[in-house]
Amino acid sequence: MSAEPQTASQVTPRRRSPWRERFREDWLVFSRNPLGRAGLVLLSVFGVMALLSFLPPLIDPMYHPMTGVDPQVLYSEGPSVRHWLGTDFMGRDILSQLLAGTRVAFMVGVSAAFMSIVLGVSIGMVAGYAGGVLDTLLMRLAEIIMVLPTLLVVLMLSALFGKLNIWTIVLLIALFRWPGVSRVIRAQTLSLKSRPFIDAARVAGASHARIVFRHIMPNVLPLAFLYMTFRVTAAIVIEAALAFLGFGDPSTVSWGMMLQWVWKTGHMFQAPYWLFPPGLCISLITLSFYLLGRAMDEVLDPRLREENGTV
Amino acid sequence: MTVLLGVMLLALAPPAAQAVEWDQNVLKIGVLEEPKSLNLWLAGDAWSNHVLQLFYQQLYVNRPGDLKKVPWLAAGEPQYDPQTLSYTVDLRPARWSDGSPFTAQDVVFTGQLIQKFKVPRFFSLWSFVKSIEAVGDHQVRFVLNRPDASFTSRTLATPMVQKKQWEPIVKQCLATQKPLASLLRVSLDQPASSGPFVLKSWRRGVFIHLERNPHFFGQGLSLDGRPLGPHIEGIVFKVYGTSDAAILALRKGTIDFYWNNVQPGYLRDIAGDPAIQVFRNQKSALYFMGFNLRRPPFDDPALRRAVAMLVDKRFIVTRVLQNAGEVMTALVPAGNAFYHLDQVAPYDQELTRGERVQKAYEILVEAGYTWEVKPMDHAGRMQACSCLLRPDGTEVPPLTILTPPADYDPQRAMSGMMIQEWLGQVGIMAAARPMAFGAMLEKVKGHHDFEAFVLGYGNLALDPAWVSAFFVSKNAGKGGWNMSGYDNPLFDTLADKAAKTLDPGQRRELVLQMQSIVQQDVPFLPLYNPLLVEAARNDRFQGWVPMVGGIGNLWSLCQLRPSGGPAAEAAR
Amino acid sequence: MARYVTSRLAQIVVILFMIVTILFVLFRLAPGDPVSRMVDPSLSPEEAANLIAQLGLDKPIGQQYLQYLQNFVQGNFGHSFHYGLPVGQVIMAKLPNTILLFTTAMVLSALAGIAWGKVAAWKKGQGADMALTVAALVTHTLFLPWLALLVIWIFGYKLDWLPINGMISAEVWLDPASGHLDKALDVAYHMVLPLATLFIMHFGSYLLVMRSSMLQTLREDYIITARAKGLTERKIRNHHAAPNAWLPVITSVGLSLAFSINGGALTETVFSWPGIGRELVMAVSQNDYPLAQASFLLIAMVVLFANLVVDLLYAYFDPRIRY
Repeated sequence: MSAEPQTASQVTPRRRSPWRERFREDWLVFSRNPLGRAGLVLLSVFGVMALLSFLPPLIDPMYHPMTGVDPQVLYSEGPSVRHWLGTDFMGRDILSQLLAGTRVAFMVGVSAAFMSIVLGVSIGMVAGYAGGVLDTLLMRLAEIIMVLPTLLVVLMLSALFGKLNIWTIVLLIALFRWPGVSRVIRAQTLSLKSRPFIDAARVAGASHARIVFRHIMPNVLPLAFLYMTFRVTAAIVIEAALAFLGFGDPSTVSWGMMLQWVWKTGHMFQAPYWLFPPGLCISLITLSFYLLGRAMDEVLDPRLREENGTV
Repeated sequence: MTVLLGVMLLALAPPAAQAVEWDQNVLKIGVLEEPKSLNLWLAGDAWSNHVLQLFYQQLYVNRPGDLKKVPWLAAGEPQYDPQTLSYTVDLRPARWSDGSPFTAQDVVFTGQLIQKFKVPRFFSLWSFVKSIEAVGDHQVRFVLNRPDASFTSRTLATPMVQKKQWEPIVKQCLATQKPLASLLRVSLDQPASSGPFVLKSWRRGVFIHLERNPHFFGQGLSLDGRPLGPHIEGIVFKVYGTSDAAILALRKGTIDFYWNNVQPGYLRDIAGDPAIQVFRNQKSALYFMGFNLRRPPFDDPALRRAVAMLVDKRFIVTRVLQNAGEVMTALVPAGNAFYHLDQVAPYDQELTRGERVQKAYEILVEAGYTWEVKPMDHAGRMQACSCLLRPDGTEVPPLTILTPPADYDPQRAMSGMMIQEWLGQVGIMAAARPMAFGAMLEKVKGHHDFEAFVLGYGNLALDPAWVSAFFVSKNAGKGGWNMSGYDNPLFDTLADKAAKTLDPGQRRELVLQMQSIVQQDVPFLPLYNPLLVEAARNDRFQGWVPMVGGIGNLWSLCQLRPSGGPAAEAAR
Repeated sequence: MARYVTSRLAQIVVILFMIVTILFVLFRLAPGDPVSRMVDPSLSPEEAANLIAQLGLDKPIGQQYLQYLQNFVQGNFGHSFHYGLPVGQVIMAKLPNTILLFTTAMVLSALAGIAWGKVAAWKKGQGADMALTVAALVTHTLFLPWLALLVIWIFGYKLDWLPINGMISAEVWLDPASGHLDKALDVAYHMVLPLATLFIMHFGSYLLVMRSSMLQTLREDYIITARAKGLTERKIRNHHAAPNAWLPVITSVGLSLAFSINGGALTETVFSWPGIGRELVMAVSQNDYPLAQASFLLIAMVVLFANLVVDLLYAYFDPRIRY
């Protein structure tokens, strides 16, 4: 989504303080934020849903989200005791699909975000630390990629190469979502580079790798972590949109896939019980990660605490 | 903000009440996509064909019911002279939409154009025609190189273009470096029509407006006992990008007919409306699973038969297709009654899931396949089994079933998924893999790099020449139509004979034999033939003619009449 | 100023060139060929080969590339496989529709975002602020295709108020009696739902940006001075704080353009709005290489130029920046 911190939040560089103490301190700030709390609660609900998704197929094979069909149901039917949210056109249980979709959303979101953050942080640190031609090249590349609408690029690639495996999609999303992070991390690295403690390390004879990984990285990581929450939402939304357009991985029951089914099989007017839940879930999980991100933003940027957030 | 609200309010007010003058007696048809082109030589898609078939007429057309070819632009049956291998066809005194007469010259020109440019889709039908000559204004003589059964059934069904309009275009195209590409890129503003309608205007992406062709030969004529019109003033094809919008328009009466398959979900929506009639017609289609016979594991017919046993076509039809289709047991669909093989293979009997696994298990055991853990326990109950082992003790490696992507055809993609699960029940590790249509064809047809696939032909010719094309060994090369790589000398001989046999009865016998062979050897496993479910309103127009391929056809549009009400009064 | 614009333009050209090259490579690397889209059981292998040769798809890849670059510079994007028309012609017919819908949506949501963000910041901590902020957060994270389907379900199906697809209705345009006003109204009528969808998706993020920027501005010295001078609150809000606070919204519009375009393509697809995003989605699924490539390029170009325009606007409105 579009809303991300636009200007690099200036993280006050800290010496590596004991992690636990710092965590408690940050948690205090975080937990005072109502939006952050709401996001966390919402996210826990989805977490529970993801865990519950393993249950239905154990109860009865007809609750398998992809292949289980209710022998008594031939058409899409509304909510009933057997199927709390109704069934889809083949007689598959919508609730089971919804739960399975949660798992997929987490998997896609977290893995794509993690990969893009790893990429973005590494590239940002290298560019910022190395400077010169390498910096220019990497940042130009970042600029180009930033201009491209990720969904359309991924759509084109996945359609062109015909590889619609869910992991390919995750990888593609990661490949096109690192520039934003890397620019912020680069700026951060640039400002850290001139700090006395880096100079001290250099004088002490630390190698470049050591300086980057031991001294710079710990200071940019919180920022990277913040960006990760925003990337999770982006990845989930892109995968869902891709699946919605019919370019998803059809062996995966994702929320986008469910929406595509209800739309393409012509049930959207007649089956609101099928149309509403998946979209609501995508929207809410996006919201929860987004709220979390904003709250963390405040944790990391003391200036914002008072104002209750920037975007 | 006030500006914003103002705009919104302004927009909310429905457009001014429309005068009804212009659309009296005009049929409105909803389509999903507009024609890709009105250039006959380029347009091969269904959407273009909807419109083009109303302009460019054929010498012979299929009549509803038995689908026999009847003269259309021709005046009678073609006369065959075995001595000279020639056919003589008399033409009707018809006219083009500009008033000029339709003559033998137009027929000669069309045939020669196709031969000269090697126009895709048409050339193979004309490649065996040695010469085409006009004998007077209303008689044409075709001389063939060799007898070919597809001449009367398919070559003579080529749409005819007007020489006067195309001759200068052809000259220009021949002068370019890439004549065919130039021909395919020609765009006509006003295609000359010999059919019931003629183009009035086309606003890309929105509508195509056709009006009655005053020079259409069929007016007042009764063909095959059917009074031709057209009895309507014109047709507006309205483009709806999505089915939901088109169905809504049908319910509201903004369109009279939605020329597309109605997805099962919408049926409930329109079922209660007495003004909407739902038609279910067969298609001339074949949806099938194909195997690669060139390499293991499907080079073994026993394994293919076991797979055929495991695939529950009834399930696919009732669940995935929501009953909008029928199980296919042979290659030629039942709607094409003359060439349909009425014989059911063992795997096409109605069996339960357990029985299917049991029988597949038996087939595999007999062929020497083994398991570490068998799919059936001692009591004959299904159980989770280990990977299937070939007679030589090696594992059957995991294999891929290619399917078109879900956006292209959700039903085939879903069928692939189900088949994957069923194969797993006897230890065949299969994974359905939907891929872009082009990429899939390249893999299957171009590189022969696949194990199995699910494909479909939605609009097969009624003449069964394709039955041979799919399985004769000479087509097994790269890019050829024999995608399975089936190689059977007996089949080749039969196919060869069938192509040269002109007597329909004898040809039928040969085609049935060929299908029976395929049923036994299973290079293809026919899966289903979807029913075409269409919906039309009956409050403005009536007289739809159902036939294979649906009510959207030339006959319907020539025969539709305004039904009671103000529109009908105005017509009188 | 002129120098800045020139250098930015040069930069855009370089980026475009790189995108063109990457696109070319990607499109040729991809498996599957366009001819297979045209096949039907009666097309023999020779016919297929003939067609490939005629369309120039069998030349060595280097030659294809050179020709492609040359064509690109000349603005000749080849012929769409699907339509058989010059790609330029197909795209140019759709571009105005996209610009109409997209620009209207962006401008309206930015204006609304600024207006409501101002209010929210002014009433910080009060009910109005809470309501606006929560509304912004919630709408902004909605899943766009779902929102579009909901809007269709409610306004098109249940209430049956508004058209749910296309841009104009055949009835109005075929009717000889309709004048220009009728036609304009017809377009506006069709635009309501897609516009509303995009608007709902986008105003939230601008509102939040405006709100925080306004909060920052309110702490500036000159506001405190204005207060000390005894100006009315309304005057301070509208004439002193807001004019400086809305600049970041412009930047935010530019930054979010690439994302908004994704949303635009989805909206166009669901509502069948005859725009370039929908064309791209369709071209991709039909393997119409030239059309997909050119639409994509055009979209990239639009984003690049829009970014430039945003920067210039920013410079124009921000008294502190002079090039």
